[in-house]
Amino acid sequence: MKLTINEVAQCLHLPLSTVDRWIRQGRIPIQRSGNDYIFNESALEKWAESYNLMFSLPQKVKAQQQEARLENLLPAMKRGGLYHDLKGDNVEAVLGAAIENLHVLSNSSKEKLFEKLLERENLTSTGIGKGVAIPHPHDPMSDALENPLIATCFLEKPIDFGAVDDKPVFIMFILLSQSIKIHLHLLSRLSFCVRDNSFVEFLKTSPDSAAFFSKVADFEKQLDRADNY
Amino acid sequence: MRILKSWRYPASWNIFRLDDRLLLILMAAIVGNCSGLAAVILNRSLVAMFEWLHHLRHYWWVFVLPAVGAALSSLFLDKIVKEGAGHGVPEVIYSVSRYGGLLRFRSSFSRLISSCLTIGSGGSAGPEAPVVISGASIGSNIAKFFSLNDRQRVTLVGCGAAGAISSIFNAPIAGMVFAIEVIIGEWKSVNIVPIAIASVAGTEVSRILQGNQIAFSHRLFSIDLIDIIACLGLAILTAAASILLTRMLRSMHEISGRISAPVWLRAAAGGCAVGIIGIFLPVVLGEGYHSVRIMIEGAFSQGLVIVALAALAKIVATSLTLGSGGSGGIFAPCLVIGSLLGLTYHHSLVLLWPSVSWVNEGCFALLGMAGLISGMLQAPLTGIFLIVEITGGYEVILPLIIVSAISTTLCHYIEPASYYLKDLVELGHLLRPGTDARVLSDLNVPEILERDCITVNQNMLLRDFINIVKKSHRNYFPVENEETGDFMGIIHLDDIRPYLFNPIMYDAVVLGQIMDTKVEVVHPDDDLSEVLRRMDANRLFSMPVVINNRFIGLISKATLLDQYRKELMVQTSH
Repeated sequence: MKLTINEVAQCLHLPLSTVDRWIRQGRIPIQRSGNDYIFNESALEKWAESYNLMFSLPQKVKAQQQEARLENLLPAMKRGGLYHDLKGDNVEAVLGAAIENLHVLSNSSKEKLFEKLLERENLTSTGIGKGVAIPHPHDPMSDALENPLIATCFLEKPIDFGAVDDKPVFIMFILLSQSIKIHLHLLSRLSFCVRDNSFVEFLKTSPDSAAFFSKVADFEKQLDRADNY
Repeated sequence: MRILKSWRYPASWNIFRLDDRLLLILMAAIVGNCSGLAAVILNRSLVAMFEWLHHLRHYWWVFVLPAVGAALSSLFLDKIVKEGAGHGVPEVIYSVSRYGGLLRFRSSFSRLISSCLTIGSGGSAGPEAPVVISGASIGSNIAKFFSLNDRQRVTLVGCGAAGAISSIFNAPIAGMVFAIEVIIGEWKSVNIVPIAIASVAGTEVSRILQGNQIAFSHRLFSIDLIDIIACLGLAILTAAASILLTRMLRSMHEISGRISAPVWLRAAAGGCAVGIIGIFLPVVLGEGYHSVRIMIEGAFSQGLVIVALAALAKIVATSLTLGSGGSGGIFAPCLVIGSLLGLTYHHSLVLLWPSVSWVNEGCFALLGMAGLISGMLQAPLTGIFLIVEITGGYEVILPLIIVSAISTTLCHYIEPASYYLKDLVELGHLLRPGTDARVLSDLNVPEILERDCITVNQNMLLRDFINIVKKSHRNYFPVENEETGDFMGIIHLDDIRPYLFNPIMYDAVVLGQIMDTKVEVVHPDDDLSEVLRRMDANRLFSMPVVINNRFIGLISKATLLDQYRKELMVQTSH
């Protein structure tokens, strides 16, 4: 593969002007004839190694950037699904019932998840107020999942969740993600929606999945607008 | 056809592409030959000039001859080639460290002609510095012709200097050591090999054209322990003389700079004074190789007082010639002064302890030369090798090393910068490879500029600003005027941190109120060492770069350190 001089500068993580100056000063094994740059890529890599300089191809950098791009709520919610009338009288029972519905997970990871969620609830309640809870494991589930998911569970009857405002919880969003970064990103977007009273009122009507997803899509648009201001 | 076209780009030939050592050796041979030739030409024309003017020596008005020569030489430099007077070695050193050894083509002959006029007419100066500049300029222009890069060009400049010194003294090692120790200042095999080749080429040219003669041959000296002990005193004497000469040269230069006469008139006045001294002590005139030869042979028959006076007179004459605008170097005068001092010292020793059997006075003359050269250049190796080679006297190497080392150390103690480097050090222009000053001078502001700053305007509300803060990776936000786009000030995240979580402030504060308008700004052409000094003085970590009231980017110490380290690694390893 042939690199351009710009890509060489990127590989070395240097500004182009520095590379240009090094060529002029004869510090780097690149020759210039007219507008052309003559160099041997492997020799250049060896040279960078001998001077302890970093030399990595820009493709890898791009791949890393792609990984870093974060997903929005909607795809995660669609992946997690919407469940109505979850039965149970206490936290343990509703969480168990909710996990039963998550078909993406294998049985062994379901058990593990159940333990982790309870562990997290024992630490402090995930009931964030206004009758909403966002149960999630303390550590990200990096091995069981490929993509983040949010399972939206409407409870049959509100239960005591030990929430911050002591209101009984009527809806749970179970948030599972494979890294802390994604977790924080989704949690921040989710709490933006829940903070809005109209959204909570809407949730109380126990909407069907089509209405729910379109409402979430509306809120995400608002969020993006605020972000891009 | 392609071969014909590419002959000027030897760096792209296949055999030279991977490693330029072979290429440099080839080029060094060419440069060494050319600069050796230049040195021979100057030497021959000086001899011719001396013979041509010899019959005028009987007239009473002979003292105006140096004046005419100096005036012509300074007129030539000032009006025709438009170059500065003096010896010019600092210019070469500066060009090597700052401009990758770029020198003007006309430098390759201008100093040859002007120094020929000055010295040939009797001015007290040496032909070595002019040939060093010619050689260096030849090397630089050959490198330019073949489109070589800066590093290769610097090496060829060193080759030129080495070839010239080697040729004029018939002393290959001295040329090589001088080029590396004084001109390039970096002992690396990539430099040493081509410079050695150039020294060989330069010496060989001079041997073919002028014969292989040792400049100052002498009888065998037998040196005892007592002589070695005695040479300690000589070292102190030569160190004192070096400092005197350095100070005299500089103060004479300052005095003549203050006189508001045309340059040629100043030079003529200086030359006239030298001519008058020359009537009484003819030893001061010219480059003085002839008198050095006599002194080393031990045939200089004057008494103690005359010799001491002659040494002083030579110092004064050299300062007058060079300080007033004549053209030439200090090498040859140093040799003369050194040998006169050596004789003085020997005469005083004999006077004080007549019973001790001292070594021949020629030996002390020789040691004196080494002491003065080492003291003036503060380059002990150059002094040692030069004297060993031009006298062919390896048996004096022990006292020679002692005198050179002590003289250099004493001079360095009193004058930290040598005569060649003093001006450069004072202007902050001495940028030896691998030093902090050099790394900072190679880097420049645009190379460490960070452009990924988000600019805001002065009418923006704090609420909108907080949304921008969310997305930014940086702590600094430049404020630009909404209409004109002019840079107004900067907001540091620390300034608003206390209000970040107070929503009442969000709509009550606009950025124009909280920005810092008294910021230190940087111009892209600013010197990085100066920028760093300002950062340290004001305890800043970042500074905005502004041209014509427009914000361009930010420079920060963190990025600077990153680049500085890479630059240092590339400059110093190997």
